[in-house]
Amino acid sequence: MLKSISQLQVHFNLLKSATSLQQQVRTTFILKRKYDPLLHKTNENPRRMRAKNFIYELVEDTQVKKRPNMEVVLKTFVEGVGDKGDVVSLKPNFVYNKLLLPGLAAYKTPENIEKYAKTEAEKSTVQHSSAYAQRTVNMLESIVLAVVMNKDQPWVIEPWHIKASLRKAGFHCKDECITLPNERIEGPDLKKEGKDFYCTITINKLEQAKLKCRLHHWSTDPSERLPYVLEHWKIPSEPLLGVNLPSEKNV
Amino acid sequence: MAHATPQGIKLLNGWKRPGRFDKGLGAQLPDAYKKFWREWKLTTPAAVHYIPKEQQWERDEVTHAIKPVQNIPLPLIDPPEAHQGIWGGEAVIKGFQKRHQTKRRVPHFWVPQLKRSVVHSQVLNEYMSVVVTERTLEQIHECHGFDHYLLKNLACDLRSALALKMKRQVLQALQQGCPNLADEPKLQKEVLKEYSQYLESYTPEEIDWYGHTYLEAIRKLQNKLREAERVQPHKVEFRSKLIDQLRQAGINEAGSATKLEKPATTDGEHKDSDIEALTKLESPSASSSWLSKINPFGKKET
Repeated sequence: MLKSISQLQVHFNLLKSATSLQQQVRTTFILKRKYDPLLHKTNENPRRMRAKNFIYELVEDTQVKKRPNMEVVLKTFVEGVGDKGDVVSLKPNFVYNKLLLPGLAAYKTPENIEKYAKTEAEKSTVQHSSAYAQRTVNMLESIVLAVVMNKDQPWVIEPWHIKASLRKAGFHCKDECITLPNERIEGPDLKKEGKDFYCTITINKLEQAKLKCRLHHWSTDPSERLPYVLEHWKIPSEPLLGVNLPSEKNV
Repeated sequence: MAHATPQGIKLLNGWKRPGRFDKGLGAQLPDAYKKFWREWKLTTPAAVHYIPKEQQWERDEVTHAIKPVQNIPLPLIDPPEAHQGIWGGEAVIKGFQKRHQTKRRVPHFWVPQLKRSVVHSQVLNEYMSVVVTERTLEQIHECHGFDHYLLKNLACDLRSALALKMKRQVLQALQQGCPNLADEPKLQKEVLKEYSQYLESYTPEEIDWYGHTYLEAIRKLQNKLREAERVQPHKVEFRSKLIDQLRQAGINEAGSATKLEKPATTDGEHKDSDIEALTKLESPSASSSWLSKINPFGKKET
């Protein structure tokens, strides 16, 4: 009696689990018997197995398979990933550890997509031009830009000087993006060698990055050149006298 | 003949060895626990380590003979560590490998790859660091959250004692209306709405008995039995009777009647203080002075 009840239970439970789980996932060893055991009578317990029935062959090791990307809905703006309400598809480990556990994203379901969609008011107030702009800001603010100027000919620093220096450092931008300090910086002046000033870089006409620049003098004549300084960005330096930050009005 | 045996009429269906629920304390376990036990131990779990054949019959490739398909699951081993983590239905497989046609088979253990990760329970409002497998995490993603994973899956698929204990805690929290989320009433409402569908398949007693191992269930039962037949010593009973009599006689030191109204848990302490007061009254007042404590015939301290 008990047995029949338990079998009924089994049947009921199996049906229930089939409805709740849409698809069987396997990330493990999948084995198969090399020698199948002999057939047993229906509705009877299986026969006692021989040692050779315990010889297994590996069908698949799903641990080493590449796992597909996961789709989630972002709850807020996430730097380098996307804006609020975006459905992003990323690697499952990154999604779980960096987005789902900190509560920055939710699983992709129709209810969640609707719940976290951007409202009209949020759409009109643009806070971020792109998900990746902040990364550029962080990169620009982390470096000390070497601005190498002529030691022999007179010059005044202009945006295209900064643009060329940035290009040497691996950043490409237009002249309009660069805002210099209000004061003129003239040279050549060896008092200004190795001194710092700040300029502002505007990304996508929205985000602003404060860029630290350091003046260096360089001559075409090798005998006139200043001695080489190894890794100048690690050496503490002073700001240029009489040069302030670029004011907000000019930006 | 059957009626003459101690088993009585049951013997007609054949002799049955008494199991763990037929003798001793196990026989007193409630049906709610037996139901959970059937779900955990007597149900066939979903196939994890093998691919079951769907069809009813199959044809031999060589001989073309038709024979029925009998899916016999691979025997799995749950080491104690499996019950301290959540392995998502995976277990250790003990068997042999035939590495070369002419060589003897070699014993081999297939052990799942474990890693420590964090799971988040929305109902309990808690982050927990547990040992999991990739399969556990995939199942959590498929069910859209750890709570859904616990509540949707049967005990036989969860497999580990830790997961079952967590499931009980989640169910109890749902029953009480998520007390851990009391700070955020809006979120609490949403969570209750999302998860309350799972409460329908359990009665309160089933939730109370869910997710215990056999030993834990026996301990729980023993504690319940002990609670039920707690014996109060005669000393306490007679003392309270005496104090009542003294009160009725109108003796002030027996304490005023207002003390009687206090809860029963603190009653014992009050009685002790009453008795102290009584003994003080009997002894002469000089006995409490410091002179009485000095023993002139005692050993001198050097």
